[in-house]
Amino acid sequence: MNGKFPRPLEIEIPENLKDWEEMYPPHYIFSKDRESWENRQFWFLDKIHAPDPMYPFDLIFHEAWQIALSQYTTRVFCIPPAQGVAQRIAGCYFYICAIEPPSEETIARKAELFQKRAFHVFQNYKRENYYEKWEKNFRALGEEIKNIEVPDLPTFEPEERVLPVPRGYYSSYDLMEAYNRIIDGIFKAWQYHFQYLNLSYLAYLTFADTVRKLFPSISESVIGKMVAGAYVVMFRPEEELAKLARLAISLGGNVRDILTSDRTPEEKLEELSNFPEGREWIHAFEEARDPWFYVSVGSGWFHYEGSWINTLEVPFSYIKNYIERIEKGERVERDLETIDSEREKLVREYMDLIKNEEDRKTFEDSYNICRDIYDYAENHLFWVEHWFHTIVFEKMREFGRLFTRYGMLENEDDIFLFNRFEIPMIIEDLVTSWALGENIPARSEYWKRKAEKRKDILEKARAWNPPPALGTVPEEIAEPFTVMLWGITSEKVSEWIKGVTYTAEDVTEIKGFAASGGVVEGRARVIRFLDEITELEEGEILVCPNTNPSWAPVFTRIKAAVTDIGGLTSHAAIVSREYGLPSVTGTGIATQVIKTGDIIRVDGDQGTVVILERSG
Amino acid sequence: MGDFVLSFEEADKRKLNLVGGKVSGLGELLKAGFPVPPGFAVTSVAYREFIRYNSLTEKIDELLSPIIESPDNYTLLEEVSSRIRNLIEKSEIPEVIKDEVLSAYFRLGEISGISDPGVAVRSSATAEDMDDASFAGQHDTYLNVRGGEEVIDKVRRCWASLFTPRVILYRIRHGIDHSEAQMGVAVQKMVKSEKSGVMFTIHPTSGRRDVVVVEAVWGLGEGLVSGICTPDSHVINKITHDVEERRISSKEIMVVYDEEKMDNVTVEVPENMKAIPCLSDEELSELVRIAREIEKYYGTPQDIEWAIDGTLKFPHNVFILQSRPETVWSKKDRGPVIGRKSGYDLIMDMALKTFKIPKR
Repeated sequence: MNGKFPRPLEIEIPENLKDWEEMYPPHYIFSKDRESWENRQFWFLDKIHAPDPMYPFDLIFHEAWQIALSQYTTRVFCIPPAQGVAQRIAGCYFYICAIEPPSEETIARKAELFQKRAFHVFQNYKRENYYEKWEKNFRALGEEIKNIEVPDLPTFEPEERVLPVPRGYYSSYDLMEAYNRIIDGIFKAWQYHFQYLNLSYLAYLTFADTVRKLFPSISESVIGKMVAGAYVVMFRPEEELAKLARLAISLGGNVRDILTSDRTPEEKLEELSNFPEGREWIHAFEEARDPWFYVSVGSGWFHYEGSWINTLEVPFSYIKNYIERIEKGERVERDLETIDSEREKLVREYMDLIKNEEDRKTFEDSYNICRDIYDYAENHLFWVEHWFHTIVFEKMREFGRLFTRYGMLENEDDIFLFNRFEIPMIIEDLVTSWALGENIPARSEYWKRKAEKRKDILEKARAWNPPPALGTVPEEIAEPFTVMLWGITSEKVSEWIKGVTYTAEDVTEIKGFAASGGVVEGRARVIRFLDEITELEEGEILVCPNTNPSWAPVFTRIKAAVTDIGGLTSHAAIVSREYGLPSVTGTGIATQVIKTGDIIRVDGDQGTVVILERSG
Repeated sequence: MGDFVLSFEEADKRKLNLVGGKVSGLGELLKAGFPVPPGFAVTSVAYREFIRYNSLTEKIDELLSPIIESPDNYTLLEEVSSRIRNLIEKSEIPEVIKDEVLSAYFRLGEISGISDPGVAVRSSATAEDMDDASFAGQHDTYLNVRGGEEVIDKVRRCWASLFTPRVILYRIRHGIDHSEAQMGVAVQKMVKSEKSGVMFTIHPTSGRRDVVVVEAVWGLGEGLVSGICTPDSHVINKITHDVEERRISSKEIMVVYDEEKMDNVTVEVPENMKAIPCLSDEELSELVRIAREIEKYYGTPQDIEWAIDGTLKFPHNVFILQSRPETVWSKKDRGPVIGRKSGYDLIMDMALKTFKIPKR
């Protein structure tokens, strides 16, 4: 391959994935008719958002962000040389690309618009409480979706809908409308998602660039520490659990004993409901439940990850753990005041080191812009990817249950095996047969067969290791999202080329971001999929495509974390710093070259991972 | 103590003329509470008394006169230098000076808990321009000197080093009268350096002020200063204490003091120590802490020599041997790096950065 990546149409997709294309919309597939443009771009596997083969319905959030992110960059705030981020799927894996810049003329026109629009937002964001307004709008949207009723199909419409004046439209339409409203809500939510995100990333990158000019080769983790601290909302679910743990202790004897027992969450709730203190605790639990337990157990992007509200074992095991730690005299809450004052001290001491007055003022300006808007980058995450997505998945499961009740599908989660354009067909098939009368067959067998076949394709796709990148390697990448969110830099790209050109066994050292300091050696545990996490043993080094904050229990058991994708503000980086574990992120190829059982050294100061000893 | 000998504690910067820059630097550090190995200075008054007692001024002037006429004759310079130093080394030190040195040395033994402690005897120049980094290593250093008589002998040899060819030439070039030459001598308890090195409170290559750079080698720092050993190198963030860079070198050789040869020798690093870091994490952070404190104390970036004594327990094993102001970056008049730009200018610059893709 000469150190180059294959062109999109050159990828050899395994035979056993035959018909994978039919799961996704046609504009997601690499094709002859767009070949010359597609060859010219640089496509990389988006393991941060999609480490696993893509379930057809779950693609909807990506469809929505492709449009929204890109539109804000190209049509709304008009970041001059940046275009959108395009997406494709190949063999069930998700690729993205930051597109080549537009013409010089367009750049110039965009520059004017950008200056006016973006600067206005920067100036007013804090002053005019843009964040608070955003949160209010967004939560209203989420509530609206949560309150959509997914109606059942009655044998006969109830009388009140017919008399005295017929309602005019009935359950068949209600069902179709409910679905459409959910879909509309998803697209709208993702438009809101990027309302300030492009600009907050731009402000961060600008500040980081300023700091690097004044303190050459300063580590990104120090820059991260200067702006961090606004990570509050994402930590709120855990804080709520800490409160519930303290309440359990203060309520005394039985509540504490029940919650620290080995019973299931359901049994615990049942027992607690039998006495006043228990009921008081349940009341507090219910109070916190919405919105705070609408937090994904994973990244929030996939229906199969689950959220706390439907995997109660997770919050209940946290509570048990917190109660035990509090009783040992440990502090389980994050000390927000200390975090704030340490950040301020850090920034102040850095400013003291800048001897030139002009430079110091420049630093301060750049810092203030970034600090003002950066809370958006941290806070939106909970509301969109966690709370809102949980609402959507729960709604879709209501449809799934309806489908299984009418024999359209075998299991409620099978609905996620169909893309968002196909589900209306199932709904239409169902309401048609309902409308036609008694014993009218729908094409249930067709849908069930399709579901079975797709399960099989997705399972087989897991065994395939798609190339990390396709198309033409760029000279330089500066598009804010690509750099910041995916940690893609030219160095990363050359590392990937290594991964493509050499066989995994030849590589003994890989590089990534020095995301969290420290050096440790230990046994690697490669976890490619979430459900393999149970195999992890105490004291191993986690090697995975990427992680997210609700993997927290895992981080108490590992020595270090290594990821394929992600920069210094990725979840793995943040959580590792919180837990004081060395971490190297954005290696591109760690899960390909490291095997479970290998002895590796993770150097979180240098951003290197060395394979010291191969297993077996 | 008397006029001829001052303990380090007494020898702060007000005594610069008496004890020389090196000692007054140590005195300052000690006064500020930094872990400097204990010792005393033989003052420039003692040197002048020694010269006077032996009527050496005239004799030296006489020996020097042919050089003044032809300072470029290096063979002659070598010969004259050697004769003067010989003369000094053969001259008697007055009893009164000897007594003060011996009793100071005895006291050093008392506080160290051993008689005849090993000491390093080093010259400490009083002329400020001779204390320049460019003169480092020009004067003699004697390591692991034991016993009062030996100490006295080495003090005399240090005095003699005022007349090495280069120092003589230096004075001629700068128009300094040879009779003005004087120096202090530092007598300092030896550290049994298991490892040692230097640290800078400013990045020596980039001038970054938010880091401390710590370089460490096994054995004595001479191996590092002379450039024969590749050190472990650490870049530590001064403010967060994060390790920003850590390069553990393969350390093949080290300089150690050989008791039998009574000299520093270069030996191979034991196999099991070659690839491992010299410094433990706690030692490293203690060094960084001290470096920051010293920098704060002086108010300017510092270049610090340190050693870790293998016979003592942490944190009592960490010693500061010397601290000098960093000269290269500190002297630069640093203009603005970015200059005055508004946050919006910076945002605009960033927003305009292009994303280049090579065309086929």
